Amino acid sequence: MNELDVISVNIWQIIISLANLVILYLIFRKFLFKPVKEIVAKRNSEVMAEYDKATKATNEANELKASWEEKMQTADDKADEIIKNAIEKADHRSEVLLYESREKAESIIRKAKAEAERDKLDAQATIKQEIVGVSAAISEKIIGREINMEDHRDLIDSFIDNMGDE
Amino acid sequence: MSILLLVLALLPIVAGVLIRVLYVPATEGITVTGAHIFFTIDLPLGGLPITESQVNSWLVIISLFFFCLFLTYNLKTKNISTRQVIAEWIVESVDKLVKSNMGDFFMGFAPFITAILGISAMSSLMTLFGLFPATSDINVVAGWAILVFFLITYYKLKAGPFVYLKSFTEPIAVFAPINVASEFATPFSMSFRHYGNVLSGSIISILIATGLGGLSKFVLQWLPEPFSSFEIFRIGIPAIFSIYFDIFSGCLQAFIFAMLTMLYVSGGFPADEYFKRKAMKQAKKINN
Repeated sequence: MNELDVISVNIWQIIISLANLVILYLIFRKFLFKPVKEIVAKRNSEVMAEYDKATKATNEANELKASWEEKMQTADDKADEIIKNAIEKADHRSEVLLYESREKAESIIRKAKAEAERDKLDAQATIKQEIVGVSAAISEKIIGREINMEDHRDLIDSFIDNMGDE
Repeated sequence: MSILLLVLALLPIVAGVLIRVLYVPATEGITVTGAHIFFTIDLPLGGLPITESQVNSWLVIISLFFFCLFLTYNLKTKNISTRQVIAEWIVESVDKLVKSNMGDFFMGFAPFITAILGISAMSSLMTLFGLFPATSDINVVAGWAILVFFLITYYKLKAGPFVYLKSFTEPIAVFAPINVASEFATPFSMSFRHYGNVLSGSIISILIATGLGGLSKFVLQWLPEPFSSFEIFRIGIPAIFSIYFDIFSGCLQAFIFAMLTMLYVSGGFPADEYFKRKAMKQAKKINN
């Protein structure tokens, strides 16, 4: 007989088949479920870590944003203050400059005036002298005699003085 | 590397075909027989015949082993391959099935259920390659059913022998013999259901094939000699029936066997008593 009957029970075959199923169970546990479970757990932990990282990064970014906004606010204030200060300073300086320049101009004018006065006096003196000389010569000629130069001079001087005053 | 593992997973099937072609004599006409016996090892209790069903189930185990290695080779957490998607899909869907049918306590059963599904479906699908389906041998399926019976009893005994014995007297003590009988009927019903379905499927396939042969002879008898013996109806039509009897029925029986395993094991487990007992033990430990 080379073939089993359609129904033939053999205890050894049953045991072998039972063992086969146990072996296949162990194979599936060790070579399919364990690695897949491990990799899925690993991926889950990685994903969670990524999520944590992302949340942390978002929080940090928000904090930074808040601090920057605050800083920006203070910077705006500071800029306003600086500008105000600068304007004040500039105003002050321009006033000072204006004052100084006015002063200078006035002093220049004053000096110029003084010079002019002096020149005028000088000129007056020279003219006076010349006029005295000329009038003395003329009057000598007209009168025909020598006049006392000293007396004459005094006379003319007083005359010119009176003239200049008028 | 993964291709090599896939080849190694397919090699046992090729080997099975080769063994069948080389060692199993072709049968003539309609003969319904069991598995071919290669040789017999002398052992008490009738000796151990090494048959086609034994060899084929070993080939299935080897094939599934390499298939597992193929699926789980070089797993990654990012940019996962199609192999890994399939591996994760298998694990997750079996886990879900076990969880919905058995609950969280029995999550360790997932690889066992996968093993039942895998070996049963693969053994039945061996017919597609012209091999003897190991599931149409009563001994193979009986081994699985007895293992399931052991598991049922083991989990029933988890809450102590008293609770186990008491469970037979429900709903009333008079039912005890019936309950005992039904307890022992479980492995028989499971194994005979699976075995009978697969065997009847292959018998029907043979009947259809021979019947179609006869029909074509009857229809073509008016033709001259070489044409009249040409069995035209055996082309294609048996393959359509084979889709049901081999593929669908094979997968369905594997699924039914796995479902029954889950339901019997988790249904017989006295969860309330077990957890009560466990809590009591823990309390005792704390008191000591």
